[in-house]
Amino acid sequence: MSRFFHGDSSSESSSSDEEELYSEEEEEQSEEESEEDSEESSGSDDEKDAATGAKRFIKGESSDEESDTEDVRVVKSAKDKRLEEVEGTVKLIENAEKINDWAVISAGKYSSLAYGTDPCDGTEFDKLNRQVVKLMQSGSTPKIYVKAIADLEDFMNETIAKSKVSTKKMNATNARGLNAVKQRIRKNNKDYATQIEQYREDKTGFMESDEDEEAVTVERPSRPSQRLVLDDEAGDGEGFSTVGRGGKTLQYTPESILKHLRTIIESRGKKNTDRNEQIRVMEKLYEVATTPYQRIRVLLALISTRFDLTSGAASFMSQEQWKLSVDSSSYSYSLEFDGVFRQFCLHHIRAEHEFNTLLQVLESNPDYVVIENAEEWEDDEKPPTLQAGEKLKIPGSIVSFVERLDDELTRSLQHIDPHTAEYIERLADEGALYTKIVRGMLYLEKLAKDEKLQTPQESINRIIIRRLEHVYFKPSQVVTILEDNTWKTIPTSLNSRITPRGKADASALVHTLCTYLYQHSEGIIRARAMLCQIYFLALHDQYYRARDMMLMSHLQETINSFDINTQILFNRTLVQVGLCAFRAGLIYEAQNSLQEICGSGRQKELLAQGVMIQRYSQVSPEQERLERQRQLPFHMHINLELLECVYLTCSMLLEIPLLAQTGSSPDLKKRIISKTYRRMLEYHERQIFTGPPENTRDHVMQASKALAAGEWKKCSDFIHSIKIWDLMSHPEDIKKMLSEQIQEEGLRTYLFTYAPFYDTLSVSTLASMFELPERKVAAVVSKMISHEELAAALDQVNSAIIFRKGVELSRLQSLALTLSDKASGLIESNERTLEQRTQGTAGAFERSGQQGGRGGRTGGRGRGDSRGGRGGAGNRRGGQQFTGGALDSRQGGAVRA
Amino acid sequence: MAEILKESPLKSVQVEALVVMKIIKHCSQTFPTTATGSLVGMDVNGVLQVTNSFPFPAVEVPSVDSHHDSNSATNAAAAAPRAKANTVYQSDMIKYLREVNVDANNVGWYTSANMGNFVNANVVENQYFYQKEMNERTVALVHDVSRSSQGSLSLRAFRLSPSFMAAFKEGKFTTESLQKSNLTYRDILVELPLTIHNSHLLTSFLHQLPSKPPSGPLDFPASLASLKSDPNAPQPPLYPNYDSLDLSIDPFLEKTCDLLLDSIETHYTELNNHQYYQRQLAREQAKITAWQQKRKAENATRAAAKQPPLPEDEWTRLFKLPQEPSRLEGLLNSRQVEQYARQVDGFTASISGKMFAVKSNLLPGDGQQ
Repeated sequence: MSRFFHGDSSSESSSSDEEELYSEEEEEQSEEESEEDSEESSGSDDEKDAATGAKRFIKGESSDEESDTEDVRVVKSAKDKRLEEVEGTVKLIENAEKINDWAVISAGKYSSLAYGTDPCDGTEFDKLNRQVVKLMQSGSTPKIYVKAIADLEDFMNETIAKSKVSTKKMNATNARGLNAVKQRIRKNNKDYATQIEQYREDKTGFMESDEDEEAVTVERPSRPSQRLVLDDEAGDGEGFSTVGRGGKTLQYTPESILKHLRTIIESRGKKNTDRNEQIRVMEKLYEVATTPYQRIRVLLALISTRFDLTSGAASFMSQEQWKLSVDSSSYSYSLEFDGVFRQFCLHHIRAEHEFNTLLQVLESNPDYVVIENAEEWEDDEKPPTLQAGEKLKIPGSIVSFVERLDDELTRSLQHIDPHTAEYIERLADEGALYTKIVRGMLYLEKLAKDEKLQTPQESINRIIIRRLEHVYFKPSQVVTILEDNTWKTIPTSLNSRITPRGKADASALVHTLCTYLYQHSEGIIRARAMLCQIYFLALHDQYYRARDMMLMSHLQETINSFDINTQILFNRTLVQVGLCAFRAGLIYEAQNSLQEICGSGRQKELLAQGVMIQRYSQVSPEQERLERQRQLPFHMHINLELLECVYLTCSMLLEIPLLAQTGSSPDLKKRIISKTYRRMLEYHERQIFTGPPENTRDHVMQASKALAAGEWKKCSDFIHSIKIWDLMSHPEDIKKMLSEQIQEEGLRTYLFTYAPFYDTLSVSTLASMFELPERKVAAVVSKMISHEELAAALDQVNSAIIFRKGVELSRLQSLALTLSDKASGLIESNERTLEQRTQGTAGAFERSGQQGGRGGRTGGRGRGDSRGGRGGAGNRRGGQQFTGGALDSRQGGAVRA
Repeated sequence: MAEILKESPLKSVQVEALVVMKIIKHCSQTFPTTATGSLVGMDVNGVLQVTNSFPFPAVEVPSVDSHHDSNSATNAAAAAPRAKANTVYQSDMIKYLREVNVDANNVGWYTSANMGNFVNANVVENQYFYQKEMNERTVALVHDVSRSSQGSLSLRAFRLSPSFMAAFKEGKFTTESLQKSNLTYRDILVELPLTIHNSHLLTSFLHQLPSKPPSGPLDFPASLASLKSDPNAPQPPLYPNYDSLDLSIDPFLEKTCDLLLDSIETHYTELNNHQYYQRQLAREQAKITAWQQKRKAENATRAAAKQPPLPEDEWTRLFKLPQEPSRLEGLLNSRQVEQYARQVDGFTASISGKMFAVKSNLLPGDGQQ
């Protein structure tokens, strides 16, 4: 009503005009109320509802405001003026038509859709449109305008037909102008289609009706559609429904669905559009929709709008959450956040349902296909007709819907506290989502069968990798249940070529999916498939297969060039392989695999299982937000505490014998397997009073101490009392394996530590000390002897170890070795420097050769010494590595995340 | 006369036995802390005669904590010769010595060392202080306590070379200046030959050190000739010394190895410092060239626009080149390494001699016989 109040304050002269306008409005209002009007008239009058009237949107906002504020007061005179303007423009266009000058009609093809923004820029045609839009503010479309655009269209068609026939080409500007106008006319004329029809039917009659009788003109176009509505009602009772909202009545008819949809789609991405409102409208539209085509179109639009909404909510949410972390006390925030979040989840669930219905519709109507590379159907009035044997392509992408659904679920899981019932509730949706993915995959497969459609291979790959990513981290039992449930919900008529129904074996499923991807994809998807399969294998205790695949993939060399999510997957796989090796009792391999991730102290970050708060690094909020987005949902996490426990235990089993072996030799520093472990051990040793162990770390440290002292039983007790082993699949087996390892390493440690004090040592004594079978002791000792870790011989007759004396390096010898190493290092660096200085010049090279020769002689001596002297040490190291080292080449993998 | 004295350089050092004894006593008393003291004597025809010495008082250092104590004490003792309090003490002491008719002429200072680890900034600074302030003819006597304990006295005399003196005066040890002055680590210290001088009185006393009279009845001389070779005639004094037959190789070499490793560590630290500097320098220079080019382009456009050009040497104000780290530490370290190497060389020479002397045990396989 503001308009009218505004009018009251205007000057006397215009008040009469105002009256007239008022009466006009009233008239229309009464029309609306008395009879069921078409949406066109209600659309042009309804100020608040932006979603209903097509013209509203095309008009844009600026013209809206303009007319609201300045022009209202002088409606009548302005209207006249504008009519004149319109006439003038029409004249110009007609003149241009006569000389076939399209450039004048559309001089600037770049002018935008927003007509009201810049009056001096643009074309005659645009100018015309602009003027008309302003005119329509106060009522109906001027007939002269209808005539002009109808003529223009006819003329245009004629010209195009002519240009096709004639060999003579139009000049460039003309052609460009023609094209621009063609496009715009199509778009523009759709809105006035009924009027143009009328005009074409009866040119003179249309023009004859008095221009002043606006009401009549308004009424006239509304009638046909009204009739249609009535027809519909008669034929199909559920075809439409009436919605009362804001005291006004709106109708959605099957006819107008597409039109509504178009307005909504066009408003997508613009500011100030109420998406909730649009969704409501579209839900209604779906109820109204009769043909599969309409349903599909509505659903497509609806789902994408929902995604728009959720993504908006999510970004808002993450900001909120960020704020929350800054100011944790703000309860109101959390309330607000909660509300938004609920809504967000709700939308997601609905989107899922809608997606489901979409798939159902598509499956039941095989003639309609949703495909990415389809062309858009331009005509809203005439729904496309199907011809037998032909399929109707509707633009859209099932894959991206699936991907979005998946992403949204992940995002919502990221934001729910994993220890609440809500999380579990939400997690239950994953099954449904998985079903969707499988169905989407089936659909795409079906499309792929049809040669004509040319579905890109990539979309199938994308959907398969999604499916794989829902499967790879789950134990096979879970996967089997998931698969069973999925196939139960999918109609029996559907079956997959890639993964046929009924094959419930999880590993076979993963294998088939991965093999398919190896064959049909490349790049990141292929790499991800590999990693998923390796992860799955490692999870199911197939260490050697996992390791071989890991090595064969050569991913460790290229992983740095992949995106961060893939790097995270790589890290996860690496860790899983390590855990697998541990379960298999391969301590060295396990330690090696875990070293990179666990030794860095940034496990959380590298596995995307939590954001580290780094004290000294400058992380911008943007980076932090990205990192938060990368986080994995809780149910995918690898237990970090278990990981640490495994890592430390492995490190203990390797480091303690090593410490005993190296003793106090000066090259002690060089041979550190795990820096993290050493640091912890040092810290633990520095403590004056050590209480009973509390956490995993304490347990391992105290166990290490006991092992170093030769008390393997105590060590074993400590390790066994760690509770976290229960999280592994067979805790008893693990503990047994660990006990054996501890006994063995305890024996090694004992031999290293006390060998200098023995001349001979009976194998049976050792066996009783470590409660190992004699054969085992003999095996361990022989192994040590063969690796030159122990200067001894095994007397098999008397079953005793005979130690040789004086074989160990004296302190002086080891010092000398270190010194010679250093000296040769110095010589090398000197030679390098000289090379750098004299590069390129032959003489200098000669000189450096001489000098190198001299240095080489002394250095050679030093190096020769070191080689000879250190042979033992070298072999020792080699010996330690000989079983492992398989995963060694993976050093330098994806540490950065 | 004075002119001639100045002209003729020092050729050798002659140390009185008394001084040697005093130094040994002082140094081994304070071992392992560094001990320092002053030398008095006079310069006769290029031979510096050191006739007496006195120790500098040990500086009382308030012990902060157990770890720092030894370190700071060492430092204080090592820096004693150039400490202000000690110069006063030294001049007072010399005054008193003159009263008892001792040579009242300061000719240098002495310091104790451990396995030859004396080439450091402290020694250089002390010697510089003496050579600059007192007079030209001063020496530093270095007594190596550890080596002396192995049987042979290790006492050496050093001076700073004139070229090093000049460089040190400037206080600049950049690569450039080193290249210009052609100063290498070999040119830091000049060793002077050292002789120990006993007064005739002392020598004769030593030769007449009373030996025990024979306990049993003497045989009659068998012949006239046997009368001449008197079994009771005294041997040359304190000879031979069985300590020098010590065959323990390991401790000495171990110690040297440790010290050498330390030196190498120091070398790497120096190297890293220098590399860091060079990186910094390269970065700054790249920045400067970029600035200069920009300025040139600017000037070109200004010239085109007929505007006065902007000054092109502003970069000196805008950019600061990093300071090159002093190479002195590196030089000294090199000298120190050389010192160690020579030490080992000398040691092995003598020790292999001894090893051949006990050859039967040396060759493997022969030992059992």
